[in-house]
Amino acid sequence: MKPAAILVLLFAGMAAAQPPKAAPKTPQAAAPFDVTGNWVSVVTEDWRWRMLTPAKGDYASVPLNPEGKKVADTWDPSKAASDGCKAYGAAGVMRVPGRLRIAWQDESTLKIETDAGLQTRRLHFDKSPKPEEEHSWQGYSAAAWEPIPQRGGLGVSLQQAPPKVGALKVITTNLRAGYLRTNGVPYSENTAVTEYFDRLSAYGIDWLTVLTIVEDAKYLDQPFITSTHFKREADGSKWRPAPCEASAGSTR
Amino acid sequence: MRKAALVLATFLAAIPGFAQIDLSGEWAGTFHEDLPHRGGVRLGDYTGLPLNEAGWRKGQSWDEDARSTPERQCIPHVVTYALRGPATIRFIKVVDPVTGELQAYLLQGSYGRPRTIWMDGREHPSDLAPHTWAGFSTGKWERNTLVVTTTHIKTGWLLRNGAPTSDLATMQESFTRYDDYLVVATFINDPVYLEEPFIRTTNFVLSLPAEANAWGNCGPAQITDELGGRPKGAVPHYLPGETAHIQEFVTKSGVPAEAARGGSATIYPEYMAKLKSGNLDNRLYPEPAPGKTLPRVDSPQTRPPDDVLVLPVQQNVYLLAGAGGNMAVQVGADGVLLVDAGSGKVTDKVISAIRKLSDKPIRFILNTNADLDHMGGNERLAAAGSLAGGGRPSDTPRPGALVIAHEAVLKAVSAPTGKQAAMPFGAWPTEGYPGDYKEVFFNNEAIQLFHQPAAHTDGDSLVFFRRSDVIATGDIFDTMSYPMIDLKRGGSIKGVIAGLNHIIEITIPKDWQEGGTMVIPGHGRIADEADVVEYRDMVTIIRDRVQDMIRKGKTLDQVKAARPTLEYDPRYGAASGPWTTAMFVEAVYRSLSEEK
Repeated sequence: MKPAAILVLLFAGMAAAQPPKAAPKTPQAAAPFDVTGNWVSVVTEDWRWRMLTPAKGDYASVPLNPEGKKVADTWDPSKAASDGCKAYGAAGVMRVPGRLRIAWQDESTLKIETDAGLQTRRLHFDKSPKPEEEHSWQGYSAAAWEPIPQRGGLGVSLQQAPPKVGALKVITTNLRAGYLRTNGVPYSENTAVTEYFDRLSAYGIDWLTVLTIVEDAKYLDQPFITSTHFKREADGSKWRPAPCEASAGSTR
Repeated sequence: MRKAALVLATFLAAIPGFAQIDLSGEWAGTFHEDLPHRGGVRLGDYTGLPLNEAGWRKGQSWDEDARSTPERQCIPHVVTYALRGPATIRFIKVVDPVTGELQAYLLQGSYGRPRTIWMDGREHPSDLAPHTWAGFSTGKWERNTLVVTTTHIKTGWLLRNGAPTSDLATMQESFTRYDDYLVVATFINDPVYLEEPFIRTTNFVLSLPAEANAWGNCGPAQITDELGGRPKGAVPHYLPGETAHIQEFVTKSGVPAEAARGGSATIYPEYMAKLKSGNLDNRLYPEPAPGKTLPRVDSPQTRPPDDVLVLPVQQNVYLLAGAGGNMAVQVGADGVLLVDAGSGKVTDKVISAIRKLSDKPIRFILNTNADLDHMGGNERLAAAGSLAGGGRPSDTPRPGALVIAHEAVLKAVSAPTGKQAAMPFGAWPTEGYPGDYKEVFFNNEAIQLFHQPAAHTDGDSLVFFRRSDVIATGDIFDTMSYPMIDLKRGGSIKGVIAGLNHIIEITIPKDWQEGGTMVIPGHGRIADEADVVEYRDMVTIIRDRVQDMIRKGKTLDQVKAARPTLEYDPRYGAASGPWTTAMFVEAVYRSLSEEK
């Protein structure tokens, strides 16, 4: 038998061996790890900038462009109390020390609530076009489980098993202008935030990690990249809601 | 048909066995977070670190001049910190050239040592194996993440301001690629200096045009005298309460002193409320609570092995542990030479272990001191051996291997005829060498015995194998406890420190302050100069603290209450047993007081 014929037979055999196509899983059912539950920030990095309000003009390590620095330098510490929710927008809220409560709102929407600032983020897995909406602190978040690249052979992809899924990738736009740090380090309403949420385990502790890439041509020279980590808590008993505005309600 | 089989084999080989992300390439570090801790970190800034009391106290005593001492100039970034440096790193796959299977990843770049992450399922080395700056790493894939476990790490740091990690620390890293970003989550578990495992995440961007940092050589040839005028063996450090540097950090940063010390409580959100309340302990140097004890960490590295173990050290020399004090075994064509003989309780096992290394007779036993756990096995091991030849049988007091020790050892264990000796005649050295030096040449190797006066006792010897480049230290160096200073038998703190400095003088690191001359301690794991330096620094710092208190007129009870050893107690201390922390402090105090 000629080699080419063997390959043809092999491909045909593989095709015949494929199980019948099942209905696609919902995003909730397809989740490669359980991201839901109660999580607490563990502030082992940037402690001075996260646990305390930094001094005016202290924007070290944030790649601000001249315009961004100019805006940061106009921040008035005496009026910090009136900054409201500016430091709790999607580009900065994961760095704010606090607790997260994560749950599936429905089978294709993941909801992240924060007790610090009392914010609610909704991560939308459905691919239908997003509605035109006003900009908000949490903007609009499109979510997807990232496929893990699988090796193929002979220049074509020859998966025998469905692709595995890895991290949760979230892209957030439609943001209101806010702060990357509580001392008025700005991001603009044109900001796009890309995040990768993942679950890790070490020394018997469950961790949630979030890689955050903030892109803002208005105020940043280059993407601002941080990664933040949260430890799982058994329950929500330490949840201490602290609204960032007196009348703060649910924000998208 | 053969051709068809080849095509089929090629096809099958291309089908993946399991999912695997490619980490290969050059990754540039990003520095958008934790910058104050990654560049010129300030002394006294331990914010965000879950240090326990031992941890922050050790950090506060650290003086950055220590980095300029000759023994520390070539220390690279320890693996617990290396990825935090300004680094482009490089991942390289190593595959078996025959099977094509992944064997390891090489992780290069950073200012640490190049690392090998073994992927072939091998075990981690023995608890008695040496520690290195890079440690020993194994990896496995879990979903989308390369999970790496690292052990055998040298005493190091979390930050370059003295925030410490101990040699009992282990590390787990998760390397996860997200598109062209790489996040490394590092978890450090250190029961000596941390209240809970410490996590930090470090970010890299795929950067194909970049080059991983080059690493050259740093060894004795590159070391210069950067601290001219300091006495030999001086260890830079801050005495307790000398807190000018902490005051400086607190003042300039606005961080309260309590938060600057770190600790688990400070890294959770609820601490913000405490910060706002102002209800903080902002003393720059809180005195240890009277009677405060920090318990010794129980670990395979802090307790003796359960059984007799043999580990190769270097060239012809092996460590034999688990028989009492550590033994060194040198083997070769001439026979077997032992340094020390164990306690004598498991001599059958010792002989059996030696027989696995050599079937030749035991010719020499060199005793490093007169302790039972080092020479209790003399009698039977010597009897199991035979003379190396030469001279007349009548030149030696008894048949069997020659047993050599300093004459002070012979005096300690022997007694005139008719008197009760500390040990039976068969266990005595057949030769007690006088003076400060003795030479042996055996198995084509020069061996030197240096008498170290008034150290652990008055009869200690260091044994240096010159060709194998291994030194057996006896109880002057002990990786499991504070040095035992037997004042009644002529020991002193001054002599112990002199002995440790002598070891450091003899040892020469190969490169980057590791390897080269290897060290077999009286008890514990195999070490090198850097480990001895760490231990010498600890003993010297404690000596300096006690000396300072004596100068200030403190009594022994006051010195004990001040806890001059506190941050070292979890690693080396003991509340009970033959050598407690209190006994050590008392011995240091009395030894220094008698010198006055």
